[in-house]
Amino acid sequence: MSEPVIQDGPRVRMSHSRFGPGHLPAIALASGVGLLLCALANALARSTDGNPMLLYWLGVLLIAAPVFYRLTSAEASPAERLTLVCLLGLSLYGVKVLRDAPLFTFSDELVHAFNANQIADHHHLFEANSILKATPYYPGLEGATSSLMTITGLSSYGAGMIVVGAARLTLIGALCLLFLRVGGSARVAGLAAAIYTCNFNFLFWGAQFSYESLALPLLVLLMMALAERETVRREALRAWAVPVVLAIAAVLVTHHLTSYATVAVLLALSLAYWYVKRSWKSPNPWRFAIFAAVLAAAWLLIVASSTIGYLSPVLSGAVKAIFNTLSGEAPPRQLFQKGNSAVGVTPFAARAVAVLAIGLLFAGLPFGLRELWRRHRKQPFAIVFGLAAIAFFATLALRLAPAAWETGNRLSEFLFVGLAFVLAYAVLAAMRHWSSRPRLARGLLAAAISLALIGDAISGWPWDAQLSRPLKVSAKGGTIVSPPLAMAEWAAHDIVRGRFAAPTADANLLLVPGNKSVLAGPYPDVEDILEDPDLGSWQLPLLRRHKLRYVVSDLRPASSDGIRGYFFSTGGSDEGRLPRGVTAKFEGVPGVARIYSNGPITVFDLKGQR
Amino acid sequence: MRGHRDLRIAAALALVCALLAPLLPVEALSLLFALPLAFFLPGYALAAATFARRPIERPQLLLLSLGLSLCVLALGALLLNYVPGGIGPVSWAILLVLVVLNGCRVAALRRPKARAGGSGPSRPKRRLSATAVGPLLGALLCTTAALAITFTTRAAEHADGYTALWLLPPAPKDATVGGARVGVNSEEQKPAEYRLVVRVAGRDEIIRNFSLDPGETHVLKLGPPEAASASPVAVRALLFRRNKDGDVYRRVSGWLAEPEPSR
Repeated sequence: MSEPVIQDGPRVRMSHSRFGPGHLPAIALASGVGLLLCALANALARSTDGNPMLLYWLGVLLIAAPVFYRLTSAEASPAERLTLVCLLGLSLYGVKVLRDAPLFTFSDELVHAFNANQIADHHHLFEANSILKATPYYPGLEGATSSLMTITGLSSYGAGMIVVGAARLTLIGALCLLFLRVGGSARVAGLAAAIYTCNFNFLFWGAQFSYESLALPLLVLLMMALAERETVRREALRAWAVPVVLAIAAVLVTHHLTSYATVAVLLALSLAYWYVKRSWKSPNPWRFAIFAAVLAAAWLLIVASSTIGYLSPVLSGAVKAIFNTLSGEAPPRQLFQKGNSAVGVTPFAARAVAVLAIGLLFAGLPFGLRELWRRHRKQPFAIVFGLAAIAFFATLALRLAPAAWETGNRLSEFLFVGLAFVLAYAVLAAMRHWSSRPRLARGLLAAAISLALIGDAISGWPWDAQLSRPLKVSAKGGTIVSPPLAMAEWAAHDIVRGRFAAPTADANLLLVPGNKSVLAGPYPDVEDILEDPDLGSWQLPLLRRHKLRYVVSDLRPASSDGIRGYFFSTGGSDEGRLPRGVTAKFEGVPGVARIYSNGPITVFDLKGQR
Repeated sequence: MRGHRDLRIAAALALVCALLAPLLPVEALSLLFALPLAFFLPGYALAAATFARRPIERPQLLLLSLGLSLCVLALGALLLNYVPGGIGPVSWAILLVLVVLNGCRVAALRRPKARAGGSGPSRPKRRLSATAVGPLLGALLCTTAALAITFTTRAAEHADGYTALWLLPPAPKDATVGGARVGVNSEEQKPAEYRLVVRVAGRDEIIRNFSLDPGETHVLKLGPPEAASASPVAVRALLFRRNKDGDVYRRVSGWLAEPEPSR
């Protein structure tokens, strides 16, 4: 079995022999202090003591700014750069963990936690989820989580937090190595990976326990493997096909949109290869593109056909909204809008920072593209990155169309991979321009990237939801919980069988910890039944048709809000509550029992009405 | 796997972790063994097998160990879904151990003899200086403190306390007796005093006065209807806060459940 070791050609190495910790210990300390400040800010917010927002942003800055500053230097070793971006990625994930503990509080998280609990309880996949029917058919995340849950006995929260943490580390590490292979420079790689953390969704949305949080890192891992494959000798191509195929398969069973993005990325790369090299021979990845497309289509049609019904209203709504906005039939969406009385106002300074951040990204684009064209126009990956960077700004326009903003928001996470690479070159160009005053240049650039991180975090997640809110509170030696959580815990403990109709936030908690089958939202139109103060003739038949025995009536405007609807109200104010008729309309129905009341939330049992 | 130290260690570690992780009763200890088994060893074994003849750099190897482990976990559940017993601690442990052992075996068979003894060229040992250890320990301390603060339930003076009142049929174990349960859960910030008035069939009135500390629950059990009747017996419960005005604070309504026949 003795065979000669085949060494590939000379390449930039991350495992550089000149390794020293460099500034890593000091920067790690700054990150630790930053996390501590974020924890204190969240603790103060949970205690309803003052407004600790400045403390929170100071913590985020302490985590990020030193890393950005160090990565702009020429002295740091490649290994130090890789370690720094991993530290940055994990620390920013820590910010999200510190906000939410000890329970998931993002809308999608509770849906996926329910799926994970179902797998652990029933020992099989594809158990129904009444809120998001497509999710059980993409079980990659929950399946992975079930391994830790079943082996260790951890809750879906504990296990899910660790799985997403591992995925975040994979994402940031794979980005760094991907950019290293494409750019051929450890400095560009470190900077680009760090700039990626400035995308709108990095801090919160992309870090939640949701299928895209695992699928996107696996897609980036796949891209990294393809980039590595590009640089090896012909004999080694097959070896790199193994991680590529495994990553494609894992993405396909994890998330629908990312699996389609995978096909799109592979197709774009195949075309870029052909454009540059006029050849379809390996390493042109067209075979992988076909493989991914066939597998994604087969999975969609054979296993996850309900995804079509789930995605088509979202996508068609987005297209319709774009046309309506463009034709002037509908007004453009207001940025930083205040949807209802439960939504806080974004202060002017925060809005200004958010707009400035996007301005900074846009300002860097032409310089980055020019550098990219000068250095890498013969590289397929670089071409795709350049196009993605331009497309990123095109998708910003989607934020102005009411039903399309979510599509634009989702796309930004993918397109930002290209933009980060392009902007890293813009940073280098700026450094070269100010080479006479390098320290000042580094300081200014680190400040600009920090501002982009904070501004884009404000754009990507509501201002009033950046910090934690009280969910479980210590009171005179005991622990009390918020009204929706108390209702869900009561249902988990005392309701044996029967389906629920509930507003979004209550419904999510009825999934976890309630462990109940529950319907919410507009399909079927439970939403209108729960918000309409009058009992329309169609309402009880609809509830009956869907075998909804229990109706949760919630007077809090936040009850339909999957971000803000889980917490205690503060200050004793009933202001902005829904009309009493929302609850009262069920009282007069013969045979309906009013079985639970905690003030804003009332639960009715329709069993006797049948 | 003789001569391949890294593969022997990986295989042995997988076996030890797979045996101990599901057995240890303390979650934290169990996690200590489950983490390498789930998040490192399968990917390491696969990467070692795949790149046995062409060594890859250490950062790529480490990243693939983590990333391919995630792929194994995502795809593994799909595989286990179709084995007898389905997805559980034993099937997961067996699957992960099989992946590691097979990966290590293939790597050992494919690896050139010149590379026996490790996954790559030997590297000089590096030690952190004392000046580096201090800040790193400080970082660890700060992170631990941050987590401790986060996972500690704190008081929130301005959070609005409340009380829940509910009325349900008997718990499943008491279903053969029939009747109903009326419960009061205090989620108030301070100890509170209550008066609970329960009217059965609009006539009988049961009154209970009690106080609850925050987080406490009071449950009143009602017996079954006295005689079988054609129509259900209605129950209405009203909760008053003592020392407050006389308004009804919470109200619920329902029916007494008939005793269910024992199975």
